[in-house]
Amino acid sequence: MAEDQLSRTFAALADPTRRAILARLADGEATVNELAAPFDMSLQAVSKHLKVLEQAGLITRGRDAQYRPCRLDAAALQPAADWIERHRHLWVARFDQLEQHLQALQRPPHQPVADQPVADQPRHKERPS
Amino acid sequence: MNASAANLGELTYTRIYHATPDVLFRCMTEPEHLTHFWGPTGVSTPIANITIDARPGGAFETIMVNDADGAEYPMRAVFVEVVAPERLVFTEPDVEGGMTTSITFVDLGDGRTEVRTHQTNVPEMFRSPEAQAGMQTSFDRLEAYASAL
Repeated sequence: MAEDQLSRTFAALADPTRRAILARLADGEATVNELAAPFDMSLQAVSKHLKVLEQAGLITRGRDAQYRPCRLDAAALQPAADWIERHRHLWVARFDQLEQHLQALQRPPHQPVADQPVADQPRHKERPS
Repeated sequence: MNASAANLGELTYTRIYHATPDVLFRCMTEPEHLTHFWGPTGVSTPIANITIDARPGGAFETIMVNDADGAEYPMRAVFVEVVAPERLVFTEPDVEGGMTTSITFVDLGDGRTEVRTHQTNVPEMFRSPEAQAGMQTSFDRLEAYASAL
């Protein structure tokens, strides 16, 4: 998925009303009236949110001209979830390596840890998968 | 390490180290330390590629280099909050999706320190206070749903 599409997905997800709408749609399809019920806002305002969600590909709307029920398109969430997962891996790896670095710092037992020069230790690394 | 996608767009990591907050804070803010752990496996962060101006508005920039093919992964961040040795906050305005990272160093009083890292990935999330306030609520169910996909 193109990066600008991912930005649209995140932008759509950034609004609490839109997230509430998506959470409701996770339970099944709903009409604009049903979606608007829990909110203190006009149908027009809710429709505007639905349009943003639709443009982000997060929901689809039925063809029934009168009701046009909304459905969550779960597949559109996947790129956002993948992106988050990549960052999660980066930071987990970072904190693992910080632990190794601290161990290296602390290896000579009787010197103050923070004032020690950092030994330039070789790191045997493998290509990231 | 506990790492969880508490909801889409947010990440929290909590980890306990056998080191003082001061040492950990220095590891995060001094290039000669950062160079040893900033890149994940297979990726190095040469010290020449690290800029750390640890004060609000100061630059925090790194270029990670893939050991295998030399590909470079730059990070351009700006410090928002710097309270040694307790807390660091920086934002990456031009990362895809954007990201703010808050790192809190909690002294456990026995030579250990809990490092809590909290990230929000969506630019609008840190631009809009009401978006921040609303993040926790309705998103939990959506996350449960998305994780089951």
